[in-house]
Amino acid sequence: MNLPPQREAAGAGRVPSIRLRLANALLLWTLVWGLGVTVAVGYAAQGEVDELLDASLQSSAALLVGTLPVPSRDANATDGALPVGAEGEFAWQTVGAGGAVLQRSANAPVQSLQAVATPGFSQTESWRVFGAALGSDGRMLYVAHSVRERAEARAEVALSAALAAISIGLLGHGWLRARVRSELRPLERLTEKLERHDPLDPAQALGAADRAELMPVHAAIDQLGQRLARRVAHEHAFAAHAAHALRTPLAGMEAQLAVALRESTPAVQQRLQRVRDASHRLQRVVQSLLDLFRVGSEVQRQAVDLKALLAHLPIEGLEVSVQSPRPFTADPDLLAAAFANLLDNAKRYGARQVVVSTPAPGTLRLQDDGPGAIPERLHELREALRKQDYEGHTGLGLMLADLVARSHGGSLSLPRTEQGFAVELILDKADGDERAV
Amino acid sequence: MRLLLIEDDLTLGEGLRDYLRADGHRVDWCERLAATAALADEPYDALLVDWQLPDGSGLDWLRARRTRGDTTPALMLTARDRLGDRITGLDSGADDYMVKPFAPEELSARLRAVSRRSGAGVARSRSRFGSIEVDLVARAAFVGGERADLTAREWALLEALVLRAGRIVPKADLEKLVHGFDSEVASNALEVHVSALRRKLGRDLIETVRGLGYRIDEAPT
Repeated sequence: MNLPPQREAAGAGRVPSIRLRLANALLLWTLVWGLGVTVAVGYAAQGEVDELLDASLQSSAALLVGTLPVPSRDANATDGALPVGAEGEFAWQTVGAGGAVLQRSANAPVQSLQAVATPGFSQTESWRVFGAALGSDGRMLYVAHSVRERAEARAEVALSAALAAISIGLLGHGWLRARVRSELRPLERLTEKLERHDPLDPAQALGAADRAELMPVHAAIDQLGQRLARRVAHEHAFAAHAAHALRTPLAGMEAQLAVALRESTPAVQQRLQRVRDASHRLQRVVQSLLDLFRVGSEVQRQAVDLKALLAHLPIEGLEVSVQSPRPFTADPDLLAAAFANLLDNAKRYGARQVVVSTPAPGTLRLQDDGPGAIPERLHELREALRKQDYEGHTGLGLMLADLVARSHGGSLSLPRTEQGFAVELILDKADGDERAV
Repeated sequence: MRLLLIEDDLTLGEGLRDYLRADGHRVDWCERLAATAALADEPYDALLVDWQLPDGSGLDWLRARRTRGDTTPALMLTARDRLGDRITGLDSGADDYMVKPFAPEELSARLRAVSRRSGAGVARSRSRFGSIEVDLVARAAFVGGERADLTAREWALLEALVLRAGRIVPKADLEKLVHGFDSEVASNALEVHVSALRRKLGRDLIETVRGLGYRIDEAPT
């Protein structure tokens, strides 16, 4: 029931991974989260930081109004009780009623920040200005932030917010990935259990599900296993019944024909012999069909004596020899069924000799001296065996031999040969993967 | 050989009976296990037993016979071809196991093989007792290389003794082995056959063990 490894590997390449999909989704969510938080914080910061800075300008103006010294006559003098460093981005001016700058901080422009008296907030190209009247003689106090500094403040706030959001997002991403991996672990355990699970063996029950979501899966697998076990039991019962129902009359025909052959005239004997030959073919077909029922149900491997096994499968008119056999294990009944069919095939297709060898461990090769198959037919047979699409493409013999090989974890291969027809029964899983048809 | 065949299929049972009779064997054929009760004390050279019979298991029947100490060679004739079945069959007392369908010729050969292996003292199909050579396959006896002309009954008697070489075979058993179960036989028929065999094969081959039966010396060569 397990998928062959090559199919499994090929399938894993095509089928999306739940873990990978969730990881990708989490990564995307992290990026969207970071971007969203950055935009939101940036938008909020623009208004809030502006308000905060404006409030500080206003407060500074109120403070300065009460603390400013007597104005100097030198308009370019930079005296003040609250000196501001040249590097500072905060400036102030007192401007007379005529628009002349009376006092200013060191980094304030020489010209008035506003050409006309402008109380309250206003904006120039480089400054954000707050104007307040100094008494009733028309003098004005202007305090200002540089526009560049205000932009830097906003950017710093937005950047900090973005970094914080992305950090939180990445931390969350890592944590969620670990959770996903952890939550998918029961699925991996179920897979491992299923690899060992044999629904026909009550000792290897699947066990209880360890996640609520997997309970329906367990229930479905259990039901499937029960259906399979019932079906296998039915097939075994049918095979046993069919075996008895078919074999006994065939044996009766054989015995009656043997007696009739002895008692009849030579002319009748020829006819009876033809009937007996047909009966033998029928016996082989019946045997093959009965073997088909057994393939895949259970394989009882044991060391096989190739010569002894072939000695029990005489095909009249076909000389079978064994070349330097290596020891191997297989189900002798199934292997005998496969050999009987392949040898019968060889004879029917004109071979007189078949050489059986073991070119590799777990691989049995039958090479005949018949006319072989044309390349197109060979290609069709190989494709049919590869896809297990037997109907209409292969005969009963090749089909049975392929099923026997597959039931051992291998496959049937039709290697190229210069003369005759060759079949390789690969009965070993590792070899089967490498040498698949 | 005298054979007991237990087979419920009429076509097969009749075919095997006729084939084996034509081969020179005396065959008692039962379609049911129950019918064998009347033959429980009959001597047989071999038993041919179907596994699945309408009134029980031929395997259980054979097992019970073995438990009672019966060592008659037995062949299972069955449609069950699984490895486990064959092992069970052989472990239950069968000397050989034939899966249906089989050729009667093969059954005949296996019968000879199990008879030879059954401790009857004849390890080969062709054996020599002094100047007499007996070929169980060719169903012939040779005196100094010349084939002796034996009747079917004489051959049956010789075969029964050769298969039990070295053992005293009671006269009653020999009569049954030679004439089968349902033949009407004159009371002195066995002595007539023994006398004929001695005339054709020499006086020393068959020893009379007074009051017990007849014997052919062991140690065939």
